[in-house]
Amino acid sequence: MNFENFFWILQIFIAIGLVGSSIAAIRFKNLIAAVIAMAVFSLALSVEFYVLQAPDVAIAEAGVGAGLTTAMYLLAIKNTTDEEVVE
Amino acid sequence: MMPESLFMGAMILLFLSATLTMIRMLIGPTIPDRVVALDALTTTTAGAMVLYGVITEQAVIIDVALVYAVLSYIATLYIARYLVKRRVGLA
Repeated sequence: MNFENFFWILQIFIAIGLVGSSIAAIRFKNLIAAVIAMAVFSLALSVEFYVLQAPDVAIAEAGVGAGLTTAMYLLAIKNTTDEEVVE
Repeated sequence: MMPESLFMGAMILLFLSATLTMIRMLIGPTIPDRVVALDALTTTTAGAMVLYGVITEQAVIIDVALVYAVLSYIATLYIARYLVKRRVGLA
């Protein structure tokens, strides 16, 4: 297996992850499940930056996507009323 | 030439297992299923990032895997804390 075929196989996997997780983040009714789908989307986007030889952008995306937005979305969900969170 | 092909095959297998884990995240009936699937997906992808740094022979980009492992630990901790106590933050 040469590097060219390997690169395009990786691109196909990352594209499947990006499309699936973004559709899931839109369609989920449970807010916590939507936050988890957004975390998976951020992970796939970070891997995409990583494969495209931009490790500093990947580090910034990892910090914002995995650490910051998950905590801030959970704080926002906690401070809203309970009718919006369908268990 | 041969070890690089082995690393490429191992990384494709890791991505295949990450895809299966993402299917569990999509169809998981309850929230703890999805949280555990997110954690397993992040761990698998961190291993794949280290393998990619080995394949391309660039030691700098292995740091991304380290940062992502620490931050995903914090994210999983926040979600678990919300699920148990309905309360996030430090207190």
